[in-house]
Amino acid sequence: MQKLACVLLVDDDATANYLNQLLLKRLGVAEQVLVALNGQEALDLLHVHCQTPFATCPALVLLDVKMPVMDGFAFLEAYEELPAAQRQAITVVMLTTSLHPRDVERVQQLKIGGFFNKPLNREKVDEILKTHFGRQLPEA
Amino acid sequence: MSEPLPIAAELARANEELREQLEEAQDLIHAIRTGAVDALAVQGAEGPRIFTLQGADQSYRTLIEQMSEGALLLAEDATVLYCNASLAELLHCPLAEVMGRNFDEFVPPGFGKTWAALMDRGWAGKSRGELPLQTQTGALLPFSVSMNVLEFNETPALAVIVTDLSAQREITAIRAQVAEQNALLDRKNEELKREEAARQAGERAAAEASRVLEGIPQIAWTATPQGINSYLNRRWFDYIGRENAVGSDQGWTAHLHPDDRPAARQQWVECLASGEPYEVEYRFRNRAGDYRWMLGRAQPSRNAQGAIMQWIGTCTDIHEQKLALQRIDQAQHQLRDNNAQLTRANVDLDNFIYTASHDLKAPISNIEGLLDALLLELPAATAQSAEISPLLDLMQDSVNRFKRTIEHLTEVSRLQKEHGSYVAPVDLAAVIHDVRLDLEPVIQGTGARLEVDVQATPVVLFSEKNLRSVVFNLLSNALKYRAPTRPPHVRLRTWAEAGHTVLEVRDNGLGLEAAYLDRLFGMFQRFHDHVEGSGIGLYMVKKMVENAGGRITVTSELGTGSVFFVYFVHQ
Repeated sequence: MQKLACVLLVDDDATANYLNQLLLKRLGVAEQVLVALNGQEALDLLHVHCQTPFATCPALVLLDVKMPVMDGFAFLEAYEELPAAQRQAITVVMLTTSLHPRDVERVQQLKIGGFFNKPLNREKVDEILKTHFGRQLPEA
Repeated sequence: MSEPLPIAAELARANEELREQLEEAQDLIHAIRTGAVDALAVQGAEGPRIFTLQGADQSYRTLIEQMSEGALLLAEDATVLYCNASLAELLHCPLAEVMGRNFDEFVPPGFGKTWAALMDRGWAGKSRGELPLQTQTGALLPFSVSMNVLEFNETPALAVIVTDLSAQREITAIRAQVAEQNALLDRKNEELKREEAARQAGERAAAEASRVLEGIPQIAWTATPQGINSYLNRRWFDYIGRENAVGSDQGWTAHLHPDDRPAARQQWVECLASGEPYEVEYRFRNRAGDYRWMLGRAQPSRNAQGAIMQWIGTCTDIHEQKLALQRIDQAQHQLRDNNAQLTRANVDLDNFIYTASHDLKAPISNIEGLLDALLLELPAATAQSAEISPLLDLMQDSVNRFKRTIEHLTEVSRLQKEHGSYVAPVDLAAVIHDVRLDLEPVIQGTGARLEVDVQATPVVLFSEKNLRSVVFNLLSNALKYRAPTRPPHVRLRTWAEAGHTVLEVRDNGLGLEAAYLDRLFGMFQRFHDHVEGSGIGLYMVKKMVENAGGRITVTSELGTGSVFFVYFVHQ
């Protein structure tokens, strides 16, 4: 399977980031995995990595909802302001724990690639790859 | 000269004679002019000729001159031949100017026809009428006129008597005034009589009222229709500590609590105006200087005509009741406050459960992930060694239990947000049948016997999903907490009660001591540690039933079994 050039993990939970990095590495999904601890850091990374056509702009962003400084919803609002060309190349998938009923409704109205309950595992990664990138993990 | 010339003496005598005649004539004319002598001025061909009234009876003349009516004689052309002094006076015109004048000049414009008609009838014989005459000053005065034709010195003349009516009119006016005054006096008298009668009736009523009012155990009083206190009974004077006082007390308001004065006054004024019964709660200062609450009431007492004669009122001591009410009111406030506080606490608890279930999820899934990662990193030999393997298994087990608890918490928090969920008629027998199928392995395994009789009320109003949950929990509990010495026997039946459908679930299981029963429906309560259970099932059942307006009760006997009664609301 051809690896994605870059995946961005956005979560304030360092352990979750560590485990997700480990998972993606083991599954051989990405050439590079970037980590941001909140929405603002994620925006900053996108600015750096998506400026030039040769830069390593993330193809996939795995986004947590509840974060300090800038949460997942605020990040998505700011993300909408980015140039369309940049946005088209990026798939955003939200990762949530159990959602408060009012948040479920909010998430469903968002223009994102989908949302999954935590924790991330092999099956969920495979589904994301199939749906958005037309790829499939090799049989384990 | 044959004829002798008159001698100077003769001439002088003749001259003297003529002078005397002239003086006499002048005196006569003067007398006529001044009215001292009656005379007739008759218009002749050679000017007016003056005739004194000769031959007329002196006494008649005196009479005519003395009478207050005006009298005159008119010639056919209405010339005044004669008039008395009274007429001149009535017309405010000197006598000499009236005589010889045409009387038409005294007839005011607009009355010419009346006058002419009177004259016509008068010349025909006699006539009588009323008309105003214009005096010399121009003023009109009312007169009554009567005319008679008569012969005077062989010439027909019209004798006219003119009576001033203004005096009569005045008399009439005075009479009317007198009559009016008399009528007024009569009315006043009547009024006084009535007032006196009313006063006496009022006094009698007041005296009677006083006798009655002295006897009653409340403070009693009367007041005038104007609202002035007219009587207070002994209780009042006892209350305020004025010994041996009787009658009224104009200073009663001084004992009224200043805070209660405006409202009491306001209502009193309104009742006095409307005649509506008076009722007010106010405080009066007693002899000890303490204020006590009184219920003040008053009714108007009316006479046969419906007029208010007086007000009769009472003041009843309601101090204790009032304080009790205030305490109850306070207690109710306290209760409302507590209720609000509890409601807030409940909301906080709901939020806490949600947050806890939510926030615990991330760390436990991390631990699970780390455990997986560790398993992958450990060399297989180490992982499967006798020392490490049970540790890993126990860790996984703990993680699983943690996750289950969180799931239950999540269910609870979901349920708490479910108030007013959709309710529909549900086929109870069908639900029991489905649950029975789910539990079939346990039923088979324990050799349980199930008796179901729900024909009395085949349909229950509830959320179908929740009804399934209620039945599942009660039935699985009945099987779970079975007595080890006998196979389970569970009976389900229903019946209708006022406002409710009751579902009874009776088992022959372990049963519980009465002391534990009220904690049975609490969250995470477990009474039997040998049985796998989360301690959440009955809490959920209670919550679901209560959310739908129903309730659940239980009776139990240790060693015999338990009976659960679920009350579903009709309609």
